[in-house]
Amino acid sequence: QVTVRDALNQALDEELERDERVFLLGEEVAQYDGAYKISRGLWKKYGDKRVIDTPISEMGFAGIAVGAAMVWLRPVCEFMTFNFSMQAIDQVINSAAKTCYMSAGSISVPIVFRGPNGASAGVGAQHSQCFAAWYGHCPGLKVVSPWSSEDAKGLLKASIRDDNPVVMLENELLYGVPFEMTEQAQSKDFVVPIGKAKIERQGTHVTLVSHSRPVGHCLEAAAVLAKEGVECEVINLRTIRPMDIEMVEASVVKTNHLVTVEGGWPQFGVGAEICARIMEGSAFNYLDAPAVRVTGADVPMPYAKILEDNCIPQVKDIIFAVKKTLNV
Amino acid sequence: QVMVASRNYAYFANEATFEIKKCDLHCLEEGPSTTAVMTREEGLHYYKTMQTIRCMELKSDQLYKQKIIRGFCHLYDGQEACCVGLEVAIKPTDHVITAYRAHGFTYARGVPVREILAELTGREGGCVKGKGGSMHMYTKNFYGGNGIVGAQVPLGAGIALACKYFGKNEVCLTLYGDGAANQGQIFETYNLAALWKLPCIFICENNRYGMGTLVERAAASTDYYKRGDFIPGLRVDGMDVLCVREVTKFAVEHCRAGKGPI
Repeated sequence: QVTVRDALNQALDEELERDERVFLLGEEVAQYDGAYKISRGLWKKYGDKRVIDTPISEMGFAGIAVGAAMVWLRPVCEFMTFNFSMQAIDQVINSAAKTCYMSAGSISVPIVFRGPNGASAGVGAQHSQCFAAWYGHCPGLKVVSPWSSEDAKGLLKASIRDDNPVVMLENELLYGVPFEMTEQAQSKDFVVPIGKAKIERQGTHVTLVSHSRPVGHCLEAAAVLAKEGVECEVINLRTIRPMDIEMVEASVVKTNHLVTVEGGWPQFGVGAEICARIMEGSAFNYLDAPAVRVTGADVPMPYAKILEDNCIPQVKDIIFAVKKTLNV
Repeated sequence: QVMVASRNYAYFANEATFEIKKCDLHCLEEGPSTTAVMTREEGLHYYKTMQTIRCMELKSDQLYKQKIIRGFCHLYDGQEACCVGLEVAIKPTDHVITAYRAHGFTYARGVPVREILAELTGREGGCVKGKGGSMHMYTKNFYGGNGIVGAQVPLGAGIALACKYFGKNEVCLTLYGDGAANQGQIFETYNLAALWKLPCIFICENNRYGMGTLVERAAASTDYYKRGDFIPGLRVDGMDVLCVREVTKFAVEHCRAGKGPI
């Protein structure tokens, strides 16, 4: 069993070793071993040149990372949380995402922006936003969102090896969670392909599509519903952009019912995009009921625990949405 | 009967020495020399390059007014001595990044006039196949052409970081205007570049106006060469190609010796 934190650490270690152009920069990544200890031990092993502490200057250091990527290097730029990426979002979008296109392919930007995204525990409104929809909106970026340790390790390795700018949305509450990892997943060449979703649980009555931490909630809901004879198919998107809508379509064709689950706000979110694409595609004719979205509450995240708990999708919300769709 | 006037080149010198303006210095004991030597070849090359840029920009102005060039068209006529003086003081393996007033640099870095005009008019023969336009032209070791005011400055420092990372002894010229000089990310970049001793030459091209705003109305301090605070700086006469050349050589040596940024 390997925690998500250790899986990410392994991925960074292996990629730093494999390619000398890879380097890590961000606040506290070096001597502090990482704000969330993701980069533990790496500065000691690789030194100042490969693991670089930065001052609190997101726009500055993100821009520097993009500039380095435009030349020969492959930076991994850590945002302590993606809330702080808003300080640097111009560099992510206008400098990183758009450059390959604007230069007619002559300049590539092989950078990874990574860090925790979305709700945490009691950190308040300014530290709890989910950026999946914001980054998923932009052509030129790839956006990945791991759930399990296998996802985390495989997607981080794939992202570092990808020649495009990749935004990797991790989740702080998942860092300490252990998952089973197969032998294969522990090898140094294990990558999870970007753009491919995974069916975490086969089912026949309803398709649950999710990404990141809510995938776990979907599986819990599925276990409860199974006792009542409802078999849920749970899809872990793994990648937000490019989204593996084909897998969702194939599942909807089979189950005829769709529920999307995400931590982010409802308007213009990941679920909205899934629903729109299902409507536009062949799977629409197989739906027996309108698709339902389960999302974070449309409000800045409150502090009090009871309020916060009710602002993110809970297992009971997913069960409720499934029963509503199935009309049971 | 035809009269032919002929010049006998034996009466012309092969090179000449010029006095150039002394630079104002910030955190520097000495600046570059106040004399510059220019050979006949160099002189002709500088003149031809500057004049070509001038003609290209004036033509672009006409094309823009005819709406054959769309969107934005930021012209470099009047500032030619900067990009030419800078280019002749660095090597092709050094790096340059600037803001959107980039046509002069694009030419100086080796993109032919034809490809620049094709790009401006949105044609496939443009240096980036018509996908970039006026503000987004690129070539080897030239990273544009950047539309967001000030964003190119951290990018330039990042390029300098890459130069230092592999120990290639290359430098990056990172340009911005007097308007951009008030952007916060530039000060973040000064701090990062100085902390990490990057071979980055920050160059403010002060043409006295940020869009329509005179410098005194935008900047509490118009001593742009001092605003790097802990970073040494020089104030250079940008209208004199030799002055620009000599100062650039000075700055490049400073960075190659590991003393950057400047």
